[in-house]
Amino acid sequence: MFGTVLVANRGEIALRVARTCRELGIRVAAVHSTVDRESAVVRYADETVQIGPGPARRSYLDYAAVLAAAERVGADAIHPGYGFLSEDPSFAEACEAAGFTFIGPPPKVIAALGDKTAARALMAAAGLPLLPGEPVDDVTRAAAVAGGVGYPVIIKAAAGGGGRGMRVVQCAADLADAYLRTRAEAQALFGDDRVYVERFLPNGRHVEIQVLADAHGNAVHLGERDCSVQRRHQKLIEETPAPGVPRDVVARMGEASVRGALAAGYVGAGTFEFLLDDAGDFFFLEVNCRIQVEHPVTEAVTGLDLVAEQLRIAAGEPLGLTQADVAPRGVAIECRVNAEDPARDFAPAPGRLDAFTVPGGPFVRVDTHAYPGYRVPSAYDSLLAKLIVWAPDRDTAIARGRRALADFRVDGPGVHTTAGFLRDVLADASFRAGTHDTGLVARLQSQPETQEDS
Amino acid sequence: MTTLAEARDGAGPDAAGVLDAVRRTVLLLANEAGARPELVRVSVGDVAVEISFGAVPPVPAAVPTADPSVGSVVPTPQTPARAALTSPAVGVFYRAPEPDAAPFVAVGDTVTEGQQIGIVEAMKLMIPVHAERAGRIAEELVADGAPVEYGEPLFALDGG
Repeated sequence: MFGTVLVANRGEIALRVARTCRELGIRVAAVHSTVDRESAVVRYADETVQIGPGPARRSYLDYAAVLAAAERVGADAIHPGYGFLSEDPSFAEACEAAGFTFIGPPPKVIAALGDKTAARALMAAAGLPLLPGEPVDDVTRAAAVAGGVGYPVIIKAAAGGGGRGMRVVQCAADLADAYLRTRAEAQALFGDDRVYVERFLPNGRHVEIQVLADAHGNAVHLGERDCSVQRRHQKLIEETPAPGVPRDVVARMGEASVRGALAAGYVGAGTFEFLLDDAGDFFFLEVNCRIQVEHPVTEAVTGLDLVAEQLRIAAGEPLGLTQADVAPRGVAIECRVNAEDPARDFAPAPGRLDAFTVPGGPFVRVDTHAYPGYRVPSAYDSLLAKLIVWAPDRDTAIARGRRALADFRVDGPGVHTTAGFLRDVLADASFRAGTHDTGLVARLQSQPETQEDS
Repeated sequence: MTTLAEARDGAGPDAAGVLDAVRRTVLLLANEAGARPELVRVSVGDVAVEISFGAVPPVPAAVPTADPSVGSVVPTPQTPARAALTSPAVGVFYRAPEPDAAPFVAVGDTVTEGQQIGIVEAMKLMIPVHAERAGRIAEELVADGAPVEYGEPLFALDGG
């Protein structure tokens, strides 16, 4: 196992990774920007290095600064967390070249799976079902493909991910404009304007499979997470098991994911994302080559520490479990409490936290980097805390989630959170019935008054 | 840096791929005028190319206390009470251009804004350190060859 791990991230995930390192007896070093110099992980880590100013481009995204910090602290390995450098194959390669183990898949695998066009081809060859569609490089071809697969379609950046660089097109008249906009956006966001057109499932369920693969050709899946509660392709609530999805469908998705992981030469923790239609047919969307925000949901039902698994795999150890050992139990729900104002279309609402108290009680986990007096910076994403609740059944988990959300105390000048909105989602009839889809948040937002039952 | 990965993806690095990667990297950097690529090391396969754009104006507001977003935060012990010249990067600080050469500046010297006062080596990149402001060097705060963080005070200034 590693002696020292450098955590190349910030916020709740940096602290979460650092905690597991400490449990495993690994010395943990943290990097931080000037904005984050008083952050929780900085207080927690054994050693810290200030690597740059607030803008991520000159700190958390700066290869040389992160690698110089790794050298300075004597790191054996670098954990990239999620976002930032976590799915950057060039950074992974630079780590290896500088003599540090990158905690993630091999650079070539990240590169292949990060390109959605290449990933589609790879997974099609491995026998995974795909929504009809293909890459397009001019507007005529885009119109032809869209006509062929049938409207509505979605245009996606080949290099995209994280819900950015995609656009739904309802009819042929809107296609040309949407095609040009998505290409321009893809160029601006990812420096790569390649796009493809795919059939869009308007009321699809977003269900993903967690996989673990070691460097010795073993892979298992750890069941699914339903991430259908989304706002503009950004997830707000995730849960497992996926309500209403037959277990044999989940089992087939899991088998397909393991097959895909082995075909790709995947090593580490990864997620296979699928869209699921009403008929129980599922379609491969993409692979996320990182630990995900919602990984605690899987941890809650499997009893596994996914970051510990990542560290063991990166250190070259074989998986300590087989598929038969994976026996998820109960229901887990994660709610993302963001520093955003739902009344102002979820605009970021950062600021200093005069009060910050998190819920507790049985089967309640809160992953957060915030504390009373913490200043939520405007320079980074607005995730403030993740609430994860577990219960033997879904009704109890929902009640526990609503109770715990109500127990959050977050106050500060200008600070708002999504906790109240998330309570409304948990109270929604379609959510409770487990029949909701990715359109739920938009429907709730269009309601003038939020529900105020208990 | 994506360009490098693309160039590396083939069966092996070839001359055209290397040149293309370098060309695109230079273009990328040139487009980012205002950034500070004083020196860039491009490595494709066994070929390494170093690019220097020469003197670039120092980046303003690198003094930690000048960061407006941390206004109410308790200053860390390293934050000086007097004006200081700070490190622009994480790495190892060198006071002189070469091991046996005279240092760029010494106590008592007057420096002008933009004058080179040292070097920070980060992953074999030699990053020139320029004075962010004019003044007289009052004290050397970091030893030659010592590791430094971004924003770490290197020299205390009088009249800064």
